[in-house]
Order: sequence, then structure tokens, then C-alpha cells
Amino acid sequence: MIPEELKKSLQQRVATAVTAREAAVDVMKELQSHYGWLTDEAVGEAAEILGLSTLQVDELATFYEMIYRRPVGKKVIHVCDSISCWCAGFERIMEHLRKKLGVVEGQTTADGMFTVIPCCCMGICGDSPAMTVGGNFYGSVTPEKLDEILEKERKN
Amino acid sequence: MPKLTIDNIPVEVPQGTSVLEAARSVGITIPHFCYHPALAIAAACRLCAVKLLDGPVKGIQMSCSLAAQDGMVVSTTDPEAMKLRSLVIEWLMINHPHDCPVCDEGGECLLQDFTIAGGHGRRRYQGNKRTHMNQYLGEGIYHEMNRCIQCYRCVRFYQEYAGGTDFGVMGSAGRVYFGRFEEGQLESPLSGNLVDICPTGVFTDKTGRFRARYWDYQFSPAVCQHCSVGCNTSPQAFHRELIKIVGRRNDNVNGWFICDRGRFDKEYLNTPLRPRDPMVDGTPCEYEEALAALAARVADLAKVHGPESIVIAGSPRLSLEGALMLTELAEHLKGATLSFYAGPAESEVSLGAVKLLNEQNAATVRDLEGADCVVLYELDLIEEGAMLVPAVRKAAVRGGQVYLVSSGQRTLSKPLPFAYRQVASLDEVIIEGGAKGVVICGAAPRPAEEMAQIASLGAKLMLLQPGPNGFAVGTVALESRAVPLSEVLSSGKVKALLAFEAELPDRLPEGVTLLACADWRASDLAKGAAVFLPTTTWIESDGTAVNFEGRAQHFQRSFKAGLPLKGLDPKYYQHQSPAPLHPPRVPHGEIPGGKERDCWKVVAQLIEKMGGGSMAEPLTGKWGALRDLDPEGGGIRVFGLRDR
Amino acid sequence: MELLLFKHNRPGRVCTFEEYRDGGGFSGLKKAIAMAPLEVQQVVMDSGLRGRGGAGFPTGKKWSFVPRDLPGPRWLICNCDEMEPGTYKDRALLEANPYSLIEGMTIACYALGVRHAFIFIRKGYETAAANLARGIEEAKKAGLLGERILGTDFSVDLDLHLSAGRYICGEETALINALEGKRPNPRVKPPFPAIKGLWNSPTVVNNVETLANVPEILANGAAWFKGLAKNPEGAGNKLFCVSGSVAKRVCVELPIGTTLREIIDVHCGGMRDGKKFKACIPGGASTQFLTADHLDVPMDFDTVAKVGSRLGSGGVIVFDESQCLVAATLNLITFFARESCGWCTPCREGLPFVKEILQRIEVGRGEERDLEIMREHIKYLNYSFCALAPGAMAPLDGLLRSFEDEVREHILKGKCPYKTEKQI
Repeated sequence: MIPEELKKSLQQRVATAVTAREAAVDVMKELQSHYGWLTDEAVGEAAEILGLSTLQVDELATFYEMIYRRPVGKKVIHVCDSISCWCAGFERIMEHLRKKLGVVEGQTTADGMFTVIPCCCMGICGDSPAMTVGGNFYGSVTPEKLDEILEKERKN
Repeated sequence: MPKLTIDNIPVEVPQGTSVLEAARSVGITIPHFCYHPALAIAAACRLCAVKLLDGPVKGIQMSCSLAAQDGMVVSTTDPEAMKLRSLVIEWLMINHPHDCPVCDEGGECLLQDFTIAGGHGRRRYQGNKRTHMNQYLGEGIYHEMNRCIQCYRCVRFYQEYAGGTDFGVMGSAGRVYFGRFEEGQLESPLSGNLVDICPTGVFTDKTGRFRARYWDYQFSPAVCQHCSVGCNTSPQAFHRELIKIVGRRNDNVNGWFICDRGRFDKEYLNTPLRPRDPMVDGTPCEYEEALAALAARVADLAKVHGPESIVIAGSPRLSLEGALMLTELAEHLKGATLSFYAGPAESEVSLGAVKLLNEQNAATVRDLEGADCVVLYELDLIEEGAMLVPAVRKAAVRGGQVYLVSSGQRTLSKPLPFAYRQVASLDEVIIEGGAKGVVICGAAPRPAEEMAQIASLGAKLMLLQPGPNGFAVGTVALESRAVPLSEVLSSGKVKALLAFEAELPDRLPEGVTLLACADWRASDLAKGAAVFLPTTTWIESDGTAVNFEGRAQHFQRSFKAGLPLKGLDPKYYQHQSPAPLHPPRVPHGEIPGGKERDCWKVVAQLIEKMGGGSMAEPLTGKWGALRDLDPEGGGIRVFGLRDR
Repeated sequence: MELLLFKHNRPGRVCTFEEYRDGGGFSGLKKAIAMAPLEVQQVVMDSGLRGRGGAGFPTGKKWSFVPRDLPGPRWLICNCDEMEPGTYKDRALLEANPYSLIEGMTIACYALGVRHAFIFIRKGYETAAANLARGIEEAKKAGLLGERILGTDFSVDLDLHLSAGRYICGEETALINALEGKRPNPRVKPPFPAIKGLWNSPTVVNNVETLANVPEILANGAAWFKGLAKNPEGAGNKLFCVSGSVAKRVCVELPIGTTLREIIDVHCGGMRDGKKFKACIPGGASTQFLTADHLDVPMDFDTVAKVGSRLGSGGVIVFDESQCLVAATLNLITFFARESCGWCTPCREGLPFVKEILQRIEVGRGEERDLEIMREHIKYLNYSFCALAPGAMAPLDGLLRSFEDEVREHILKGKCPYKTEKQI
């Protein structure tokens, strides 16, 4: 169940949209940030707010890269695996993450803190290799820097 | 009218025709998966590639999404186009399982056909096949996602055509998945069409799985007799078991599709409880014997009580032939009462519609699709005429206004898949001047003053009938001054009831001493009839049905009636005792349990047995024009014949 | 050289509304509003401005396709779904200055008769979105956006639409579907968006950089804009965002027609670690490899096309001699295979096929016939539904055209020649 306040603000967003569907991605993202991922319950709530069926919401939710329809950790680590970051050795970063966190791509750490998901070019190619942790951007990542980042993100 | 050449054949087609359709018009089938005449163009599968050698457009093009233009020179056999088509097949076969031997679609699979046509035969992809989990989609449809070739036909049908919202496409790239949010029965009353529209075996008919192959089926053009819409079907039978029913195209009625009731409801035909044997006083006998017994008893009774004591009853389940033959029987038993309806309400609705409708005011399905305003009057459309739902939806999507007039007596069995305004009475309906309106009325009793108000709206009418062949039977009943059965029976004068596919009351009034029934189903009362004569269903017989809009359509026998071979009692294939070993070594000429006769023939033979003339052709006089009706010709409206 | 797009940039922070206004901002809008809409369109047409999103279609011409006499709304959408790998110019632009885009869109709305415009922003560009949201409020307060702009009858609403990440959303008809809240598959064309786009009304979709050019074009005139380019056919400046094996990875504004050599040697400080230049992708992941032979080609749409590649988005990705281009191409194809929307067969199934082949070649299990299969894909993926798969084939085509020997070496040696024994 989402708080009444959030529900109201989402209904407000839908009311001001040209069509309800136009607000679908916003609604899904808001619900995701509330639950951490877009749970089945959240899909149901989105459907109700948008006046769509659960299937119609899921058709959209499953299309987008940044909508999670499976549980994720407290913070998602997105490591860019596209060409500029490849040039800058993202594979080294990935390898380090696997070792450091004991997970492979798509998995969540045992403590439920991090989920590692490779992702598409984030448009930070000037600072590759790039990654985000819980939505915070980090560029020119090295294995050493990565340790500090994880330390910091774990605390916050 | 653009003129073009396709494979050196000159073609002229109406403006807006696609190259694919133009080719089809001269007998060239360009392979295709995503293209379907009933759906919007998707141009997704890329199989229908052709090469344009000259003219306004050049090079490789998708023929489904390319409008034919003057001067186009199209080649469907150009090596480049053929290479692309073969690659498309190769791409699709990368992930398609080679499970044809255990796939119910085998033999009627477009993917099989076009794989052969496409020329791809050797696998070059060395990776693994992608796999999916299947979903439970209800008792009608089996889901096998691994076979999917992502043509998007199913989702386009389900959402755009049928207006369903519980089935769709999820994911992206190679992960696209066609299914529901969660497992469960598909909600659309047209969901069964997924079976027909899937070019391969993702959706197969669960009710007929693993029973036979396409090439084993016996089938003929049939007309569904579940309601008065008269959808065209192809019932597929194997060894006298009705395995599946699929939609058959008729643009005048059902387009390409049928509803789930028409598709999945076939128990009445296959049930082992179906009466198969003629019986006299509860004892099975030969047909001729039963007919002779009935003729004799009727003659005796007429002699004692007079023919006025006899009621001949039919129902809107009869074919036109059956109804006409009953009038012959009534003629023969001069003085007997003819009845076609169980009660006065039903009779009034059916006859009222027949009287009110004419060539001009009876709306066709095309009229409905093109209407600016549709009024659903006291009607549960999904229950009473599900295949009209997509037509109303088409009108609504085009911007037409839909009203549901409901005084609250009837509730909707399922939500309607289009936008509508619910109003309490006809007074709230506004059909603007010049707008094309269509009013659809259900077969519930319609008060005369309300019918007058409906008729005064200036809209075209769709008056659904209380039975599948209500229009034909109503027309005959009107001409023969038939009386509702409950009225005749309550007069107290009836001694004999001869029921031919008629709806019987639960019990007969005192004084009725002779009950004879001819039917393909039997109520408890019918089972106790003095004479019982089993008849064939519409799937096992030839005949004519007239749907609610007065369209006569001919249906043909798909197979000879009889007990399905599956589960057949050994007594039917041996006459010795003890029974010989399996399999039987002696063939017998007759079909086990196959004594059923077409109802109209039963009536004709009875007349003959009673000393009347022989009746070889039921469609005589003005109805003679329907004798050679092409079962695949779309049917003709009978107003001209009727009013002659 | 004269800066246009980065003119208002401040080191390390976003420029303020006052800075933009006082630096000459909104003079283009004022000038435009004093003109007739079609005159504004004519200036853009005369300027030779071409779409900066990748396809390079003349902007004025695109505007001219919009029917003016149809009833109902018209729409303008700014495409800020910058997901082409190696491209980060729109981010750089909007994180430094959102006002050029806001002003450019307002002018475009005036020229096109649009009342309501959208900026479609990709996931991850939240800073840019915040800048724009603030800029829109500031412009509204100053009477430069919203109701009755500059006291005239002209009004424009500008809304942000934040996406959730998919490369295909950058395709203009897919973007329209995404904005409408439908699955972002591309649409059948025709009808083109200019006739039937957003909610079935005439729609123009322009890239961020394209629209950000418009204020200065109006302020300084078409001839001035044309004159900025280094080559005679070119027009204006271009943002080049460089990544890969260069010493300094930068996003710079340079005149159209600047050579690759100048971009790398002068603006990026040469190659990283003194390595030798091997190849580059000139305009984002869906363009062909250029080699050392092409370093002196002027970076303009037609000149790059002449040597078999595309100027694309201006996302230059540089590879050095130590990098395996089979592996690089595999990375690119993997991206495209994952980002296919799944609508049409060639893209959905053909890209994973190529990916499987490149994977095998890279690990030394390639076969001679794989070259033939890849060539078939290069040719026939052109007949996909949209430009994604043909774009994906561009680097593969470049690989086989310029580096076939390298691919063959993988196959013949049965291993990647760029990997050490340990790596294998």
C-alpha cells in the first residue's frame, strides 16, 4: 500500500497529463522509488491510478531498462558496458565488483545492499568507465576508487 | 485504379490496395506472417519482401505496407527478395523449437508452409535456443511460448480488434513475451480466435489437443447455431468426434472470427448421453419401425379424436427446411395445430422482428461498423450476439457514440470492450439528423410501445432472435398462423404432441396420450416419449439457416453422424459372442450409433408413411431460390423472397 | 573561432538566467516574434542547419512538411533521449546551459504554430532535467514562455517527459509512442510524424543541439551561421564529444568541417599514452569505422558520407593499435541486440545471430563462412523496420571493409591476436 499522499500526488500528475497514459512512466518510476522495485502490488496501484489494466502497465514496465520488475537491493549499481566504457576497461570494474561483492550481474549481495546490473551508455563517455550507485554518478572509476565508492554508498 | 505488373502479370486494383493483396488477386501468395486482412498493417515480420524492378518505387520493399501504384513492376521471385525471405525464415527458426511432431498446429502451420517456401533448410546459427515459461490461459487455450515467431498478430487481434486488456506483449528485444500479467482465464469472449490467428502453434485449442492432424479432419462450411448471428464456421471432425471448430470468413457476418461459445461449446454433439437410437415405448428399434409405429398411432388417434387433437411443434432450432416440412405435415393432418414457440413472449419477439424488418431498415454488420450512433437496447450483447461486439467496437473507435439503454433488469455478463453511455430510457438517446444510427435489441420481451419508439428513431435495426434460426422459423410461423405451444396445450383439447426439435415443457397436461419426439438431444420428458426419433445436428446435416438480419446461409454436413470411434463400446464392432479379440476382423456396413436422420427428412418420411406423397425437396415455391445457395458465398438476405 | 552553443558556458557550473539574458540570450526570440512564422522557418532553412541527432536532415525542410491548414493541435518534441553510445553532447550542453534549448524551442513553436511542446529526456539526465525545469520557470516568470510571450498573443507551454531508458526511444516515431505512454515500438511510415505524429497530429521532432542552434541563427542571420563552417558546403558549428583512446576526452564545439586530425591532436591532446591511432567511430555507435586514411576528412555530413561513414551524432570514439576491433564490434552489436525493441524479425533475431558469430570469432572458434553470413546480415538488415539494425550493421560493415585481415587472423589463428595467453 502506498501512502495516501503519494497516491494523491500521482493522481494529480495523471490529471494534468494530456492523456493518462502519458504519465505512465512517471507513475511507475515514483512507485518504484517508493517500493525499491516495481512490485506486483505496485503494478496494480499504477493500473488503478492510470485507469489501465495490470497487463497494460506491465507491457510498459517490462520494456524499460530502468524499471525493475524483480527485487533489487537497497542500491542498484549500474555499470555501463557500452563502447566508450569498454575502451576504458569497464570489464576490469565489473570483475572487481564481482570479487568484492561476491555476486554476478543481476544478483543482489547477501546483505541486500547492492544489486549489480550492467547498463547501456549513460552519456558519461568523457569520464568512462562510468557507473551509478543508487542514482549517484561516478566517472573514471578504477578498482581503488570503486572500493571507496562502495564504502561511502554503504554508509549513506 | 492503379495498373501494375506482378511477375509479368498485369494487375489492376482499387486505389489503396497493397502490393501483397494485388498479388493475391491474381493468385500469387507472397509469404507473410504479421499481415492479416482483419488487422492493421504491422510490417514487422519482413517476410513479404518483393523487389520493385521499375516504376515509382524501386528496390526491396515490404509488399504488405506498400500501396500499389501505377507503373510498378514487381517481382516476387527476384533472387534478392527470395534471399531476404529465406533469411527471415532462418532468423525465426533460430529459436523455434523443432517440435512439429508433437505440435497441434502441424499441417495447418503457416511457419511450416513458409519455411518450405522460403528455402531455408540448414541451421547456421550455433548458439542455444531461447526458451520461455508458458502460462495457464484458461480451459480453452494452450500456451506454448517457445514456438512464438513474434508476428504480433495475437496482441493486435486481442487488444485492437477485440478490445481485450488482459493479454498483451511484455519485454523487449529477443525477450518479448505474449501473455497475461498473471496466469488465468483469458477474459475476452473472443479469446479463442488466438488459435486461428497465430500463424504457428503458440495458441492451440486445448479442447482438441492431440486428437488428430489437420489432414485427418473432415470438415465442411457450417453456420454456427448457438445464437441468431449465424457466424460461419468450419467444424473439424475426426472419426465422428467433433475435435475443433474454427472460424470461417464471411465479411457480411462474422469477418474472420467467431466467439468462444461457438468455438468451444461442442459437448452437445460429442456427449455419450446423446440419444442415438430410435425407440418405441422405450425399446430401441430400427428407424423405419419407429416411423411406422408413429404413423399408425397418429392415424389411430386422428380417427378417434380428430386431427384437431394433434399439435405439431417445432422451434427456432429447426433449419428452414425443417420448419417448411412441418407446414407440410400440418397440411397433411388437416386440422392439426402448428406451433413453433414454447410461449407467447418468445413468439411475439420473433414474429415482431420478422414483421418489422425489411430490406431497408434491417441493419447489416457493415452498417453497424460504420454507424455514428449505436444503441444497445435492453441487451447483454456478449451473451446474445458476441460477434457483434467487435463491430460495435469498430464504430466506437471510429468516434461513434454508443448508448446502453438499460432499465436495470438485465445485467452485463462481462464488461463491454468499448466506451458507451448507459441511460435508463430511450428518451435520453440522441441520434442527430443525418447521422447513421443502429439500434440492437436483445431477444427479451419488447413492449409494443417501446418497439414503436425504436422504429421511430430513424435508425437501422438489429433485432436479435430468441433462437438461432428464429428469423426463418418466424417467417414460416407467421405464414402458417402457428400458435405458441403453451397456449395450445392449455386449451385442454390436445391428445397428441409431435415435437420436432422443439422445446418441451417440463410436464405435459393431463389428456395428452401420445408424445413423439424427434431431436438430437433429449430432456427427461422426451426420453419417455412413446416414439423417439434421433436427428442430426446442423454439423451433421445440410440445411439453410436465416440469421437475425434475414440472411439465408447454407450449411453442409461435415461428417456422417454416429458414435465417435474414440471410446467406442466393443459391442458395436462384433456381433458374436464371446467377443473376438481386438482389433475387429469383420467390417460392418453401418456406422455405430449412426441411425440419426436429418429432421426435415424424418418429417418427410413420416408424411410418406402416413400415405402422403414423397417429399424429396423441402425448398419449394418461393423458397426454391435458396436451393442452390453457395455455402461459401456469404449468404443472401431473404426479404425479397419473403415479400414476394 | 566563434562559439555559439557553448557561448554562455561557465566553468564548473550551469549558467544562470541572468547571465544568459545579459549575454545576448533571448534576442533571437525577440527578433523571431517580430517576423511572420514562415519567415522564421525560411531563415532556418536558409541557414543550412541540419539535424544534429544523427541523420542530418535539413531542419527547415523538416518544419516545412508540417501542414498549416489542418484543424487541431500541432506538436513539437525535443529529442533528448541521447542514448547513442559514445555520445554525451546534449548532456554537456544542458548541464552547462538549458536556456538556448528553451529559447530555441520557443522560436520553433512560433515558426510552427505549436502551443504545447515536450522535451523527452532520457533516464540518467536528471541534472539536465532539473536545469530545464528551473529554466522553464525562469523564462515563464520573465514573460519569455507560457502565456502571452513578450506581451504578444503567442503562448507556449513547455513540458518535460522523463523516460526510463531504452535506446529505441530515440527513434522519432518510437519516441512519440513512448511519450504517449505506449510501448515504444517505431511506427509504420508513412504517415510521417509531420502529418500524423503525437496523438495523430502533425509533429516535429528535433534534437537538443539542433534546437539550441536556432536562437543564434535568428539573432545573427542565416548567412552568419553558414559562414561558421570550415568547409564551403557546411553550416554552423557542431559539438564533438570524444571518448576512447585519446589523452583528453572532451566535448568541444568546433566549426563543421573541422578534421578528425585537428579534433584528436589539438583538442584532445593526441592519443592516450602515446599509442598509435588505429580507427575511430566518427558519430556514435551506429557509424562506420574510419581509419588513419580518413584523418583529414572534414567532419561534415556529406564529406563523411563520401568516405562511407556518417557524421552521426558527433560522438567520436577513438581506438588505438592495441585494441581488438572484433571485440569492439562485438561490444557494439551486443548493445544493439539488447536494445532492439523486438518488433521486426531482422533486428530482433539477426543481431543476436551476428553477436553469436562475433563471440565465436573472438574466442577463436570462427569459421571462414562466418564472413559470408555477416555480409548477408550487413546487406539484409537494411530491410529492417527502422534504422536501428542498419545502424548496428555500420560498424560491422566498417570492420569487414577496413579490417577484414584482422577478422581473418582471429579465424586462422583460432584466437584473438590482441589477447595475451593469460587473458585467453
